[in-house]
Amino acid sequence: MSALILSTVLGIILLYLGLTKQKGILAPVAIAGLLGTLYLTVSEWGLGAAYFHDMIVFDNFSIAFNATMIIITILIFLFGIDYYKMMELHVAEQYALMIFALVGAFLMTSFSNLIMLFLGIEILSIPLYVLAGGKKASYRSNEASFKYFMLGSFATTIFLFGIALVYGASATFYLPEIKAYIAQFNGNLPPMLLVGLLFIVIGVAFKVAVAPFHFWSPDVYEGSPTLITAFMATVVKTAGFAAFYRLLTIGLVPMPVPLEKALWVMTGLSLLIGNLAALRQLNFKRLFAYSSIAHSGFIMLAMLSQNQNTAGVLLYYTFVYSLATIPMFIIFILVKRESNGQESLTAFRGLYKERPWIAVSAAVLLMSLAGIPPMAGFMAKYQVFVLSISKGFLFISLFAILMAVVGVYYYFFVVREIFTEGEHPKPIIVTSLNAALIIVCALAVIGLGIAGWNIPI
Amino acid sequence: MILLLILLIPLFTSLFLLVFRNAATVRTIALASTILNLVLTLTLVFSGQTANYAVSWSNVIGFSFSLGYDGISLLMILLTNLLFPFIILAGFNTEQKRAEVLYALIMLTQSALIGVFMAQNAVLFYIFWELSLIPLYFILLLWGGEGRRNITLKFFIYTLAGSLLLLFGLIYLYQLTPGNHSTDFSAFSQLNIPGGTQIWLFWVLFIAFAIKMPMFPFHTWQPSTYTMASTQGVMILAGIMTKMGIYGALRFIFPVVPLGVLYWQNTVIVLSLIGVIYASVIAFRQTNLKRLVAFSSMAHISLMVAAMFVLNYYALQGLLFQVISHGVTIVALFYMVYLTEQKTGTLELPALGGLKLKAPNMAILLLLVVLGSIALPLTAGFVGEFLMIAGLFQQSAWFAAAGGLTMILGAVYMLYAYQRVMLGDQNPAFATITDIGIKDYLVLLPLIAIILVLGVFPQPVFNLVEISAGSMQNLLHSASALLPIVY
Repeated sequence: MSALILSTVLGIILLYLGLTKQKGILAPVAIAGLLGTLYLTVSEWGLGAAYFHDMIVFDNFSIAFNATMIIITILIFLFGIDYYKMMELHVAEQYALMIFALVGAFLMTSFSNLIMLFLGIEILSIPLYVLAGGKKASYRSNEASFKYFMLGSFATTIFLFGIALVYGASATFYLPEIKAYIAQFNGNLPPMLLVGLLFIVIGVAFKVAVAPFHFWSPDVYEGSPTLITAFMATVVKTAGFAAFYRLLTIGLVPMPVPLEKALWVMTGLSLLIGNLAALRQLNFKRLFAYSSIAHSGFIMLAMLSQNQNTAGVLLYYTFVYSLATIPMFIIFILVKRESNGQESLTAFRGLYKERPWIAVSAAVLLMSLAGIPPMAGFMAKYQVFVLSISKGFLFISLFAILMAVVGVYYYFFVVREIFTEGEHPKPIIVTSLNAALIIVCALAVIGLGIAGWNIPI
Repeated sequence: MILLLILLIPLFTSLFLLVFRNAATVRTIALASTILNLVLTLTLVFSGQTANYAVSWSNVIGFSFSLGYDGISLLMILLTNLLFPFIILAGFNTEQKRAEVLYALIMLTQSALIGVFMAQNAVLFYIFWELSLIPLYFILLLWGGEGRRNITLKFFIYTLAGSLLLLFGLIYLYQLTPGNHSTDFSAFSQLNIPGGTQIWLFWVLFIAFAIKMPMFPFHTWQPSTYTMASTQGVMILAGIMTKMGIYGALRFIFPVVPLGVLYWQNTVIVLSLIGVIYASVIAFRQTNLKRLVAFSSMAHISLMVAAMFVLNYYALQGLLFQVISHGVTIVALFYMVYLTEQKTGTLELPALGGLKLKAPNMAILLLLVVLGSIALPLTAGFVGEFLMIAGLFQQSAWFAAAGGLTMILGAVYMLYAYQRVMLGDQNPAFATITDIGIKDYLVLLPLIAIILVLGVFPQPVFNLVEISAGSMQNLLHSASALLPIVY
């Protein structure tokens, strides 16, 4: 709880610091504040504290996810030091909005009441709508912001409608009570309740960009400022999946059959659409948008194969995914700067020649995303498959494995470009902080793959 | 402990090499490290004891870091460590950009390959299996020839697709193991999987190995990859990587899904024999020397796969013998290909000819290697192929007849190629070429010596694999009693 308060205050402090026009102090203050939040979060481990009539419960699940999201945000801010040097205006607002979004993410991992989930999603989303339009002069950025806002609002409406229907049927917002209410029907749910649950799931699925609710994500990823794209692809996704998992475990397990079918369809479609569409992408950000949809498919597969390890696998998967995705976006920013803003994959050409260590790190990160041992991404996928095959979902697992091959294919498009000779108009400048962070991330990805795969939550 | 040393020496050498900038230093260090590894392996071979190394690292999800070996693994480790000094030596005195990175990758490949052959745990095996692919991908991508961007990607994806199916099979087996699940090979081999499951599980597991070998019809990545690869890359690929497929099948498939093996036995043999004839005929029609050798390698490997699946003791011994013999011969052959290209600047057979006049010693050595490759008596190739064909004969005379075509067709295309490279009128463009030098002798003479010595005195290799081959034989014998249940 104190973590929640501290991070909110931190956001406001950053806004006021913006008035001093000193960009240099923003990042250190934000990072120090987040470290404090991290400490406060972790100190609540094992207490299971509940607040506001049990509307939010900080159990170990939510603490673990909050801690990883804080770490990822710190990583983004560290990269932001260099990124925002180029930017003239509204840097404080950018930091503050990201922290406000993080507050929303905290709520999403710890709700036990549908209203809290709704609040969390909204607090997360509204700053993102603004952040997506961060490059005011850019047509693409404005489009991204508008599109995200329109479709996001639409999803929110459906979500709210779902809550209303469920409330209409069960007369409660509390998930444990809803679970008890569902249980009494023995699988034959009244249509109103079922439609309500389906709408709620659709609302969350939209946030995590699971197909067929993914249409916003490639355009928004492409148009948003790249650092914000990295934030969306990692923190927002982690929060969304934590919320999704929580919704399913504390509210809906054992799942009503029609709902489970719908979720399986979403899983299959995400794997299919994400991977196949990524194959045809020449723009790096769109490629990552589609591949992120594909990763959503794998996470859904883990989520639907519930046992006591699922939460740990989910945490591991999202964390490892974030750890590899953020530095890749940063490397992309670096090469894009020096190739006249070109966003296609060919911008990576010549990276190996100019910056061998960055190139090798990038290859490690991409291999982790592709799921090649001994990188952490492999261990993540391996654990997902262990879950799903142990549950006996053989066909969808085989399908997912085939799709993983496709995934390797398009990630290696990027690897291939990195190791292809090519000339940049200007030399690639990598600040020593950025280089160190990228290499540390690559080492962490290898390290996490070799040891420490399992966090019991 | 010695196992860990053999595994780690190449790995640490690989990291250590990155410090240096001078290509000659890098090569010398790499060579010294591989020779040290060879010596350690030989002590392991002659000590005659078994050694194991196991640390239970993090025993969640069935993973444990356990190394060990039996006769078959030791044979594979010996082959790997025997060939790598020559692979390194082949690079001496050549122009190679970024030599430190190249040799670091080569050493990393060696470490991963040794890991594959030592792993006693399926996940560990899988990790090393994939790990061996990564440095090789970069060796091919960065030092390959024409068209490498697309060819390497095809090679990588093709082999990886098979591996991921293997991963599926592995996890499926893992969740079948009783109690506290495990992925140790020993746990897998004790599973009693129902016959119906084994029938489909066989292909899930086998495709990865079939692609790696490569077996017809999963071979389509191979010719273009071999042709494009640098000399050292192709030596690793043809000399050792192909044996990974055979080793994997012996380790993973025969003990785990014996009923599946018996059920699909004839299918695989027929496919392999088609591969023998197909590859031989195509090799005959090639005009590029490197491509010709690539197809000849495929023909020989196909025969080995067929012999593996006839499941009798002769064929198994012949197969294991041929693992060494083929590895040594094909490396020597590819070195000869490299020499030809280096001296004449071309590999197109119509443009070559008459090299014997200017390079008589090269012609003699190439003849010896070619004779080894076509399995002439008194060469190592003969011992292996004869045993394999004898084994095939016990299954069916037709199989033996088709398998015997490797020798006949092999003689046809290899001697034809030899004729077109070495004999005939001299092409005026080659008037200035010189005979082979000291380095070439250093690479070729030991390899040829191995081919000849093993041809006359093959017993050491048989002694090495005797026990393992026997136990594999017993295993399948007991399984065949159960076979009627499957049908």
